[in-house]
Amino acid sequence: MFAKLKKKIAEETAVAQRSGGATRIPRSVSKESVASMGADSGDDFASDGSSSREDLSSQLLRRNEQIRKLEARLSDYAEQVRNLQKIKEKLEIALEKHQDSSMRKFQEQNETFQANRAKMAEGLALALARKDQEWSEKMDQLEKEKSILTAQLQEMKNQSMNLFQRRDELDELEGFQQQELSKIKHMLLKKEESLGKMEQELEARTRELSRTQEELMNSSQMSSDLSQKLEELQRHYSTLEEQRDHVIASKTGAESKITALEQKEQELQALIQQLSIDLQKVTAETQEKEDIITHLQEKVASLEKRLEQNLSGEEHVQELLKEKTLAEQNLEDTRQQLLAARSSQARAINTLETRVRELEQTLQASEEQLQQSKGVVAAQEAQIQELAAANQESSRVQQQALALEQQFLERTQALEAQIMALERARAADQTAAEQGMRQLEQENAALKESRNEYERSLQNHQFELKKLKEEWSQREIVSVAMAQALEEVRKQREEFQQQAANLTAIIDEKEQNLREKTKVLLQKEQEILQLERGHNSALLQIHQLQAELEALRTLKAEEAAVVAEQEDLLRLRGPLQAEALSVNESHVMTSRAMQDPVFQRTPNGEVGAMDLTQLQKEKQDLEQQLLEKNKTIKQMQQRMLELRKTLQKELKIRPDNELFEAREKPGPEMANMAPSVTNNADLTDAREINFEYLKHVVLKFMSCRESEAFHLIKAVSVLLNFSQEEENMLKETLEYKMSWFGSKPAPKGSIRPSISNPRIPWS
Amino acid sequence: MRILILGLDGAGKTTILYRLQVGEVVTTIPTIGFNVETVTYKNLKFQVWDLGGQTSIRPYWRCYYSNTDAVIYVVDSCDRDRIGISKSELVAMLEEEELRKAILVVFANKQDMEQAMTSSEMANSLGLPALKDRKWQIFKTSATKGTGLDEAMEWLVETLKSRQ
Repeated sequence: MFAKLKKKIAEETAVAQRSGGATRIPRSVSKESVASMGADSGDDFASDGSSSREDLSSQLLRRNEQIRKLEARLSDYAEQVRNLQKIKEKLEIALEKHQDSSMRKFQEQNETFQANRAKMAEGLALALARKDQEWSEKMDQLEKEKSILTAQLQEMKNQSMNLFQRRDELDELEGFQQQELSKIKHMLLKKEESLGKMEQELEARTRELSRTQEELMNSSQMSSDLSQKLEELQRHYSTLEEQRDHVIASKTGAESKITALEQKEQELQALIQQLSIDLQKVTAETQEKEDIITHLQEKVASLEKRLEQNLSGEEHVQELLKEKTLAEQNLEDTRQQLLAARSSQARAINTLETRVRELEQTLQASEEQLQQSKGVVAAQEAQIQELAAANQESSRVQQQALALEQQFLERTQALEAQIMALERARAADQTAAEQGMRQLEQENAALKESRNEYERSLQNHQFELKKLKEEWSQREIVSVAMAQALEEVRKQREEFQQQAANLTAIIDEKEQNLREKTKVLLQKEQEILQLERGHNSALLQIHQLQAELEALRTLKAEEAAVVAEQEDLLRLRGPLQAEALSVNESHVMTSRAMQDPVFQRTPNGEVGAMDLTQLQKEKQDLEQQLLEKNKTIKQMQQRMLELRKTLQKELKIRPDNELFEAREKPGPEMANMAPSVTNNADLTDAREINFEYLKHVVLKFMSCRESEAFHLIKAVSVLLNFSQEEENMLKETLEYKMSWFGSKPAPKGSIRPSISNPRIPWS
Repeated sequence: MRILILGLDGAGKTTILYRLQVGEVVTTIPTIGFNVETVTYKNLKFQVWDLGGQTSIRPYWRCYYSNTDAVIYVVDSCDRDRIGISKSELVAMLEEEELRKAILVVFANKQDMEQAMTSSEMANSLGLPALKDRKWQIFKTSATKGTGLDEAMEWLVETLKSRQ
């Protein structure tokens, strides 16, 4: 349909182009040119009207031409009217179809939805019931299992309690055993310790004994030594007494000797006294002789002097010298006698002295001997005394030794008695200890046996315990698994419950949605009713129009006859007017909007023209009505579109689909729009692309968001050549749309809430 | 933020738009009309309008100029024959009062092709250095490879932020 329409439009536009005579003129420029052409022709026409009185024939020609033109126009109009009717019919059909389809769709959707809902609800209810049943069964089963398990658990717990008790008892017994064992061990240790102590004591005692024995031996030896010494001493004593006797004898001998010696000494002393008297006599004689010598020497000296003095006397001197020599010889003799006496005397003295000396020596020796013997005696006496003391000492020592011996004997006896006692005690201890040991060993054996028994029982118990534990663990695992299963089941149940809740929620939502949708549907239905009413009124109007059209057609047929006559009359007049006619025709074709002034300016004179004007007026009215209808239809379509949009939004259909739908559907709408475009806009060389562009922009304008659509108002206005008012109207409608869910649409001139910047008017 | 993507037909505007929006290379047909998408970049939302660039519908560009923050002008770097047309369209666009404050970003697109013009060459042939009172920048991009787009958007975002 669309393609056909397009083709038609293309043809129309082609015709228009051809008639316009201008090819590929920019839109705005071409429009201006057309407008100016229209204005020119209008001026021409006015001037022609003023000069009609002067030149009737030319006027007539013109009229003829005009009439022809009008005829052509009329036919055009008729065609147009037909076209319009066709379009209208098509539109109606489309509308009806659309409505039907939409109604059907709605109904279908509704039905399907309800059916679906019912099915879903049933299915869900069934599923829920089944699930419920299943779950209740499962729950029963699980509860049974649970009760069984709890019973088992209880049993297990009891068993484990028994086990624990047994274990405790065992532990206690073990503790007791160990305590007893330790006690026994302790006792044993104590006994061993005491035994050790006793042994040590015994050893000490034996050591003491040996020591005392040794001492005894020593003392006995000492006593024997002492007795030997005593004997020796006694022997010594006897010898010493003998010596003493001997010494006493020698002493008496010595004393007698001494007395003899003393007598000798006295004799000698007497002799010495005689000798000394002799010596004194000798000395006195010597002195007399020396005195005589000295006297003689003086007589010599006096005779020498008398000699010296009696020199002559020489025989005298010689006799004197002979007398002197005789005297000297006498002297010498006497001297020699003296000397001999003297020497004999000295010899005697010497012998005497030697004899004295010898005597003295012998005396001294005897004295020494005496003294020696005295010392010896003293020594012997001391020795004797010593010996006596020693004797006494020895006797004392012997006594002491005896006493000691007695003591030692006593002590040894006591020690022996002690040792005996100790040994006895030891033996007793040992026996006691052995007995204790035997007892302890017996006890130990008994304890060991009991321990073994206990151990065996313990092992048994442990074994049992292990078994029980294993069992327990298995049970536990089973119970854990069961608990897990239970948990899972519970979870599943919860999940199912949740799912059920979700499903119910979803169902609720769906129901709500349904309610809303039914509401919307009701609204839609109401709207559709309104639309139908509108449509009916439109139909009525169309009917009226058709009736009018019929009337017009009849009128036109009448007129055509009149005009044909006129034509025949006027045909002769003018190739000149043909040009004007063609100009007028083109003018009529191109400027439909300017029809009013053109037709108002038609002359009043003729009936046909009057009728024509009337007809034209009617036609204009009709056209206006048609335009209005178109507008209302457009608005309704827009509303329908919006409603659909909202419906789709509510049905949660993605905008893409919506877009696709919008792209698929716009056939009728575009068919509706297309003529207005082609009628109003001039065509460029890229007409096809322009059309595409327009289509796209309009589509977008209708389908996109309001904020985006607002930016498109200008483009749409430019493309559709809207006036400023139309553009403003569009803006306001958009504003109204934008506040669809708000309160009332904002009054004119108010600031738009969603757009901050005021629009700069298109220059 | 409102951004227009303009340029001659076949420059790659639609590919750039969808590369920016979904990050994928889509197969496109010549745009008769426009595409509008919301592109979010660095927490900034842009309403990006990709207007068809065919000769017959270029006059309608001016219908979209009002309230435009930035213009992305896409040029085919290999199309040396039509660079003059591109320049004249750009100059005509920049003369519009409504775009007086708009930022200009030139995408020297199709850089993945051989014999692609360099950015300086492109800038000179578009007469960009002669622009007065205009924040502009040129970027080498490849919509199919996705190169250069991030840098360009980065610059654009920064510039828009600093302008506010």
